Amino acid sequence: MLLALLLCYGGFTALCLSMDRHHTELLGRKPSVRRRQGMRIQGWLLLALSLWAAVSATGWGLGLVQWFAVLMLSGLLLVLLLPYRPRLALSLAGVSLLASPVAAFAQC
Amino acid sequence: MKGKSLPVSYRLAVTSRVLAAVLGGYLVAALASVSLSLWLPMARAEAVVIGMMTSFLAYLVAVLWCFACRSAWQAWLGLIVPSLLLAALSGLAYWMGHR
Amino acid sequence: MKEGFRQAMAWLHTWAGLVFGWLLFAIFLTGTLAYFKDEISHWMQPEIPARAVTSEASLTLAQEYLQQHAAGASRWLIDLPDAREPGLSVRWQQAPAKPGERGQFTEKRLDPQTGAEVQGRETRGGDFFYRFHFQLQMPYPWGRWLSTIAAMVMFVALISGIITHKKIFKDFFTFRPRKGQRSWLDGHNAVGVLVLPFHLMITYSSLVIFMTMVMPASILAAYEGDERVFFDEVFPASSTPEPAGKPAQLTALASLLEQAHERWSGGGVGRLTVNNPGDANASVVLVRDGVDRVVHDFGSALTFNGVTGQILGTTPERPLPLAIAGAFYGLHMGHFAGPVLRWLYFICGLAGTAMIGTGLVIWLGKRQLKHAKSAVMPFELRLVEVLNIASMSGLLVAVAAFFCANRLLPLDMAGRADWEVNSFFIAWGLSVLHAMVRRGRAAWVDQLVLAALLFCAVPLLNAMTTPYHLGATLILGDWAMAGFDLTCLGSGVFLAWAAWKMQRSGQTERVPRKQRAQSIALDRGPY
Repeated sequence: MLLALLLCYGGFTALCLSMDRHHTELLGRKPSVRRRQGMRIQGWLLLALSLWAAVSATGWGLGLVQWFAVLMLSGLLLVLLLPYRPRLALSLAGVSLLASPVAAFAQC
Repeated sequence: MKGKSLPVSYRLAVTSRVLAAVLGGYLVAALASVSLSLWLPMARAEAVVIGMMTSFLAYLVAVLWCFACRSAWQAWLGLIVPSLLLAALSGLAYWMGHR
Repeated sequence: MKEGFRQAMAWLHTWAGLVFGWLLFAIFLTGTLAYFKDEISHWMQPEIPARAVTSEASLTLAQEYLQQHAAGASRWLIDLPDAREPGLSVRWQQAPAKPGERGQFTEKRLDPQTGAEVQGRETRGGDFFYRFHFQLQMPYPWGRWLSTIAAMVMFVALISGIITHKKIFKDFFTFRPRKGQRSWLDGHNAVGVLVLPFHLMITYSSLVIFMTMVMPASILAAYEGDERVFFDEVFPASSTPEPAGKPAQLTALASLLEQAHERWSGGGVGRLTVNNPGDANASVVLVRDGVDRVVHDFGSALTFNGVTGQILGTTPERPLPLAIAGAFYGLHMGHFAGPVLRWLYFICGLAGTAMIGTGLVIWLGKRQLKHAKSAVMPFELRLVEVLNIASMSGLLVAVAAFFCANRLLPLDMAGRADWEVNSFFIAWGLSVLHAMVRRGRAAWVDQLVLAALLFCAVPLLNAMTTPYHLGATLILGDWAMAGFDLTCLGSGVFLAWAAWKMQRSGQTERVPRKQRAQSIALDRGPY
């Protein structure tokens, strides 16, 4: 489940950054059109990858359940961190993406 | 809610919609489940299970309708018409000896 | 027309949420606790040891015990221990006086290592929360009807809430604390939308679980009134053969486990039912345990001849509709969930509880603003305020009181289990009375502080009255016991913090409006 969680959290952060309001709050300026599009694509891609990660480890039944579980958990975590510790929220996303190849290796 | 109390006609309309949603909605849901269980081309137990599982969606739509429509009369009408249709469908299946 | 539709849905969401919110809060909180019912039961009966034993060994012991104590029974039921429920429990049923009636059941818990009867303190344990969340302490079947009606209202409230939430995607990551009513609404939306898959699943599955009771029309129509035929078709293994009247030696039950393992590709046995033990027409039905798969296998069982040990029948592959129903059931119960997933279920359940709670607070808060000038609150609002306090902080006090009672009531007291439950309801009742006599905010603070104290007291009482305190259990690695103590402690700390925040916000209200408006403007910063 760890790999799926890391990818989900990263994906949600990317989707969050693709929104004007949150991008401005976190990074101080409005995103350019390319940045917005790029973040959106990256976000959805990471979420799709996390689904693959969950299902490939334990099959479709348990995998889907685990994916929704990490999806909800990472969403809650991000939304809770954003107003109180925005820098931590962002750096966690960075760490998650860096750590995901390691988690992928451990899983396979 | 404002300082002065709401007119009786409003309260009656709300009560009417609530009754329609709760009782009429249940009727529509039950008839939908019966129609499905009699018409679905599968084993009896399976059709019954599908009918029961989907009935709650019908109940939901009925309840939403009762409060979204423009008047309490429309609420009742919007339930009675599908009920008659579903009852007719079920009756047809029964008469045709589907089960 | 679009605006009218959204407004209508908002009205529906608001009123359905209010009228059933108090009940739904209780259902969600106790249901969430039920995900750890085995761990709660273990904490509430610490005398019963948690020991790892093989299924074969405990089954043999169970058979010996039943042979000694229940040789003449018409049916034996054996629940094998698993990772979370280390107890071996046996039940036997005497033949009913009249056919078609339910025979008398006797239940005993056995030590899975020695086969001797276990004596733990009499308690309902975690089972109390599990049963309460769908039976509501009401006689059969009224509690189930009420909880299922509440589930349907919950479903309506969820969907109407989604429809009403105009900016569901734009506000997906939005949570703005420290902004009064706005923050409460943001919080309500956050725990609602972010955990929506769970809320929808848990609500709809609870309807499916009781669908044969609340929506029997299709059964009656398709089976021409004969419900029993329907149930026999769905649960074919539940029919019992007639006793032959000739005595015959029952085969060794443990040998049947191996056959089951093979057929179920390694899956384990959860329960055995022995029909007519000691008779020539004995049969043994093995039901799979739910630990390794999500979809609950309804009625899936292996039936063996009780004398020869030969397999008589297997239930065929479940057809898709029944598998879907089984999936709903399995997802709701979460039997398959390991420790991590189980905690996630728990967190999602708490989120659902918080969603309902914040909704109730918002309902009152919005209307209280309009009456802020007048000293006296209109009766309807005062009623909502009392019910809010009693159903939320009052319920938390009751839960903590239940645990404290378990450690405080004498071990050999008659009707001990009932008195633990009584403590729960007495505490809850007192909280209603307290909320009626105290002013709103004061009542909240009082009850939150009391709940915090009681929850923090739980591990202390544990240490004072039993040798299984936190120090010992952490060293031994009894994670269920230690986890329970730590969670109670954590809850106590959280509730104390909530009480403090509540107290503080009451004080800042007295700050003059102009000053507050200024500070909010400063808060908003450059954007």
